[in-house]
Amino acid sequence: MAEENNDKDLRERLDSLSAALDAQHKASQEQKADTKSTDEAGRSLGRAINLGFRVLTEFVAAIIVGGLIGWKLDDWCKTSPLFLILFLAAGTAAGFWNVYRIAMPPKGSSGGL
Amino acid sequence: MAEQTFDPIHQFHIDRLVDFHPFGFDASFTNAALFMVIVVLAVSGLMILGTGSRSLVPGRLQSAAEMSYEFVASTVHLSAGHEGMKFFPFIFSLFMFVLFSNLIGLIPYTFTVTSQIVVTFALAIGVMLVVILYGLFRHGLHFLKLFVPSGVTIFLVPFLILIELISFLSRPISLSVRLFANMLAGHITLKVMGGFVAALLGAGAYAVIAPLPLLMVIILTAFEFLVAILQAYVFAILACVYLNDAIHPGH
Repeated sequence: MAEENNDKDLRERLDSLSAALDAQHKASQEQKADTKSTDEAGRSLGRAINLGFRVLTEFVAAIIVGGLIGWKLDDWCKTSPLFLILFLAAGTAAGFWNVYRIAMPPKGSSGGL
Repeated sequence: MAEQTFDPIHQFHIDRLVDFHPFGFDASFTNAALFMVIVVLAVSGLMILGTGSRSLVPGRLQSAAEMSYEFVASTVHLSAGHEGMKFFPFIFSLFMFVLFSNLIGLIPYTFTVTSQIVVTFALAIGVMLVVILYGLFRHGLHFLKLFVPSGVTIFLVPFLILIELISFLSRPISLSVRLFANMLAGHITLKVMGGFVAALLGAGAYAVIAPLPLLMVIILTAFEFLVAILQAYVFAILACVYLNDAIHPGH
């Protein structure tokens, strides 16, 4: 009688323990999935901001370089504002070209950041 | 607090710690130089201590060192190919320097080296010089094919060469400005938000809403960590992409 009681106790205890283990496992998995999704969201937000910033800097940098070259050429050749206008236009075109290249990464390189 | 002038730009001020003017040049040891030394020491310390034990089951330092090594190695391999691996030491030093400057700059009362455009522009120009010199050394004048797009009518070629040239010259500017602007803007935003907390606490009844900017500061700090790592990664990967141009000109 005593032994049977003991057995029953043991089984009950085992059941409750395994139930607790299951619950914990489930909770930890849920938490993992949760952090994973927030991680993913944070990373994609960072990536999007980064991509936008990259487009902005590449575009503006090309225009600035074009403007500087034109300005300096005008300075040397005393043809103000001929070269400035020409090179600003070329710089703008180069800016668009830069942006196009970001949008259409050449094969082999890992673009699209 | 009210009398004290609040200046979010002050953190970028360069102080001369040791005055040194050889031959009329100002080569003083500044706080920026001090933090560059700290960054280099930190990176070297991590790599030397991390690889010192060489145990099969890595400890914390060793796994950090191995992770950074493998991460950069796979980045270089992916974007510059097998031939690009000879630039691995260069890219790795760049990445670790930028990463550690960004991260160390996030500790309060430190100086962010990468928030100075001189530093980031010097790094970017260094990358471009390596690209140009290696391209000329490896391919000779064929390297200039980089600027001649293939498969266009002959009338358009001069115009396209001009555009490619400007696009090439704009690379160091965009590379340096991106890193510099990200660090500068992030630190100023943090400082301004922190200033709001102090100002609200000193503003009588408005002190009730002081926790709001404090919450923002916490969120922004986490975001700044993301930006710090991401910008170091972007700097390294773009350097790889440009080096790839030097290895394989003529797309």
